[in-house]
Amino acid sequence: MKYWLQRLGMMIALLIAVSMLTFGAMSFLGDPLFNILGPIAGDTENPENVAKVQAAKEQYYLDKPVPERYVRWAGDFITGDFGVQFSTDGQPPVSDLVKERLPRTIQLTVMAQILALGIAIPWGVLSASRANSLTDRASTMTAFGFVSLPQFALGIILLYVFGIKLDLLPDTYNATDPFWGFTHGHRLIQLILPAFTLALPAASTYQRLLRTDLITTLQEDFVLMARAKGMSRRKVLFGHALRPSMFSVLTVFGITAGALIGGALIVETIFRIPGVGLAIVEAILREDFPVVLALVMIVTTAFLVLNVLVDLLYSVLDPRVRR
Amino acid sequence: MAVNTPLLEVENFNVGFKTERGLAKAVDGVSFVLNRGETLGIVGESGSGKSVLNRGIMGLIASSRVVETGSVIFDGVQLANQDRQDLWGKRISMIFQDPMTSLNPVMKIGKQINEPIRKHLGFSKSQATERAIELLTSVGIPEPARRISQYPHEMSGGMRQRVMIAIAMSGEPEMMVADEPTTALDVTVQKYILDLLRQVQLDRGMAMTLITHDLGVARGRTDQIMVMYGGRIMEHAETEALFANMRHPYTEALLASIPRLAHAKHTRLSPIPGAPPDIVEPPPGCRFAPRCRYAQQQCITESPAVIDDNGHRYACFYPVGTDENAEALATNQARGETATGLKIGPAPSKTDNDGENG
Amino acid sequence: MTAATAQPELIASDEDELPNFVAKKKLGFGFWLAITWLIVIIGAAVLAPVLPLKDPDQNFVQFEEKENPITGKLTESPVQPPYSPSSTHIFGTDQDARDMLSRTIYGARVSLVVGFAAIAFGMIVGGTLGMIAGFIGGWFDRIVSFLFLCLLSFPALVLAILITALIDRSLFTIALTLGILAIAPVGRLARAQTLVFAEREFVTAARTIGAKNSRILIRELLPNVLIPMSALALLGMAVSIVAEGSLAFLGLSIEKGSTWGKLILTGSGISDLDKAPWIAFTPIIFLFLTVVALNFAGDRLRDYFDVREITV
Repeated sequence: MKYWLQRLGMMIALLIAVSMLTFGAMSFLGDPLFNILGPIAGDTENPENVAKVQAAKEQYYLDKPVPERYVRWAGDFITGDFGVQFSTDGQPPVSDLVKERLPRTIQLTVMAQILALGIAIPWGVLSASRANSLTDRASTMTAFGFVSLPQFALGIILLYVFGIKLDLLPDTYNATDPFWGFTHGHRLIQLILPAFTLALPAASTYQRLLRTDLITTLQEDFVLMARAKGMSRRKVLFGHALRPSMFSVLTVFGITAGALIGGALIVETIFRIPGVGLAIVEAILREDFPVVLALVMIVTTAFLVLNVLVDLLYSVLDPRVRR
Repeated sequence: MAVNTPLLEVENFNVGFKTERGLAKAVDGVSFVLNRGETLGIVGESGSGKSVLNRGIMGLIASSRVVETGSVIFDGVQLANQDRQDLWGKRISMIFQDPMTSLNPVMKIGKQINEPIRKHLGFSKSQATERAIELLTSVGIPEPARRISQYPHEMSGGMRQRVMIAIAMSGEPEMMVADEPTTALDVTVQKYILDLLRQVQLDRGMAMTLITHDLGVARGRTDQIMVMYGGRIMEHAETEALFANMRHPYTEALLASIPRLAHAKHTRLSPIPGAPPDIVEPPPGCRFAPRCRYAQQQCITESPAVIDDNGHRYACFYPVGTDENAEALATNQARGETATGLKIGPAPSKTDNDGENG
Repeated sequence: MTAATAQPELIASDEDELPNFVAKKKLGFGFWLAITWLIVIIGAAVLAPVLPLKDPDQNFVQFEEKENPITGKLTESPVQPPYSPSSTHIFGTDQDARDMLSRTIYGARVSLVVGFAAIAFGMIVGGTLGMIAGFIGGWFDRIVSFLFLCLLSFPALVLAILITALIDRSLFTIALTLGILAIAPVGRLARAQTLVFAEREFVTAARTIGAKNSRILIRELLPNVLIPMSALALLGMAVSIVAEGSLAFLGLSIEKGSTWGKLILTGSGISDLDKAPWIAFTPIIFLFLTVVALNFAGDRLRDYFDVREITV
């Protein structure tokens, strides 16, 4: 119990630190008035424009000092009010953008993780159960290659081979298409190439870790015991040896969750998926700081929550670490 | 099922491991017969090849680095160099040395027992659970219904070994291989587990091989005992005959090296001098000669054949209790060392000399 | 799948492990191959101006004779680039008829400098912070550890975009940004290594003879921490090069001069990929080989020095 309270305190401290960092950085970036009002923000002559500027300043507390603005923002953020998009006409709330963009990125990353685990587990088991065979060596080299291939390069290669030359899979994403379905006109299929671009390097990392851990587990007495009980080879590998060999994969899953958003950003660019990754880049370039803040906070929170989940999963995987 | 019909017939069985120096002959020309419902004790120091022999019979050490030759007939079927996977758990079970590492740490006890029951007996999940509870009760585990939802780390070593026995019994096998089942346990629970094993074996009419380094453990819990050294059989007899008329110097030395409760408190133990032999390039003579206090020139140059004396088998030129033996000892004592250069005391006390074989 | 083939791996005896364990303590042929490639590419990048390479900015427009549809005369007219690989341009040209090979090698100059500068900065700042934190412990350790954690929980690429947006997109800023990103992983390793070695006898011995803290840090701990960190330096340089490529790919890297990422970006449009794949693939191949070489060499070094905990 004490442990989880400490974890929670740490999480909150981290979120505050990250938000301050982002808030501070964004406050140095240009004047948000230009985002809101356009060129008239610089007008000090026309009384009509000056009045507008004054009104906007008051509405968004831009005339207040940075610390006060931070506190106001934090108070709103906790109550679920993310503020408004400065750089979009009419200043719609940031939550609209989040509602539109977030599901797409979640679909992409969840699909990628499912693919990554779906590839890595059988692959790692195969490699470990034939350790040092030709198959194993070839797959170790393949995994190494994928780990070393930058995400954007892999995306381009997949796009070129499967999207253009073989023309098997759609090379573009259309946000208005329905999700469920199995034709090129469905986003489920349009997400295959982007998801593989995210999944292959992750799968290779998992495979390497799983292979090492599994080889160690296969030397354990209880594996021999399971064989002697008459369990089939498949059952021994998947039913007995796999679970105690998943710890490193789980740990790295937590660590790479943060890298995933970086990957999503690249993949969304290559395949033109209007998700959170693209939204962050656009918002930073347009200096739209409520959007940047909201998205950075969402991503960071997701990362921290995922790591708590990973911690919980340890105790599911291994009853000995239950507190 | 008729007792006294052969269940396992092993003939000239050899197991070798390929090493950089050559073939390490872990098991060298072993033959024996095990009847249904009987227990065979296999006794020897570590490195004597007793565990390898059993795993070899089970077919659990097949690998590209292992060379197995000879014949292993189980219930009339030749097993040597065959895949024995469908026998495991169902017709032959195995109990491992260390219950702390031999149970899956992340799987509930119940599931670990259910698995073989469902596989070998075709039971449904609820039937299997019922059977698992019965089995746990029969090995003396209190509150079995609660234990099946526990993990191994929540149990003591003795409890875990009982669970292992329950698992080994679950497929209703005809034979059980118990590989030093109590070595890793507290002395206080050792006797209980050994008696439990014997009880289970007698109740169910299973055949069993009990591997141990302790002759005393085998006494009273086995029908026959085979003493191994350097991968070879040194002596093999019915348990009572063996203790009544011990023939091999190694058996004698083995017994003298073990503490006995019956002994007076300050009796000195006689550890066997030297170490187990090199099995890659073994000496041409008797494997035990370098450590034997009776060793003569013949023991170094010639390998003694196994002599079958009315079912009491032994491999020695100077068997204990014979005139040749006494003469050999006297010769060695006179010169202060054996033919292999082992130093022995010139004037051993009368009691020490007679040891256990009187 | 037959059981006969299944058993050997499942039931490996203890002896099986020994030879592998011994064999691990060699760097091996692959390591030296990787180092060779790194020397070649760094050499080519440094010596690019004196090597017999084509000018990376020159437009090598090719002409062909065409019949003028009106006059019927043969005239020389330019061919629309990009040109596919040929004996004059072994890796082809880009859309402006510039030689891809020279552009890629000149691109290596920037990519390698950024990668090297970034990891060097990360090692100096992160390494110093991590070592001091691990050595003196207490509140300083807690603050530094918390800072590392903050840096790690921030999505790295987002932080990079934020910093570059804040300052400018010069070579210096990009290298600095990527260097800041390297601080936390390097620092954590340095701290962990320091904690391990601070317990060892030679440090205790130095303390008992009255050595100053600064002396223990520099003379006793630094060499021991530095050795395993060399593996991390190679891996980190690979990460930095890839990160620069990612920024460039998003159009956010250095404004002047070409880098591998920017070159890849110019060839990555769907129609360019379709018609002239060599534009994107030439820099991809060079980037990939360099990153593989760095990763492989780093991996081998890590095994060689038996560094357990590395977080990149």
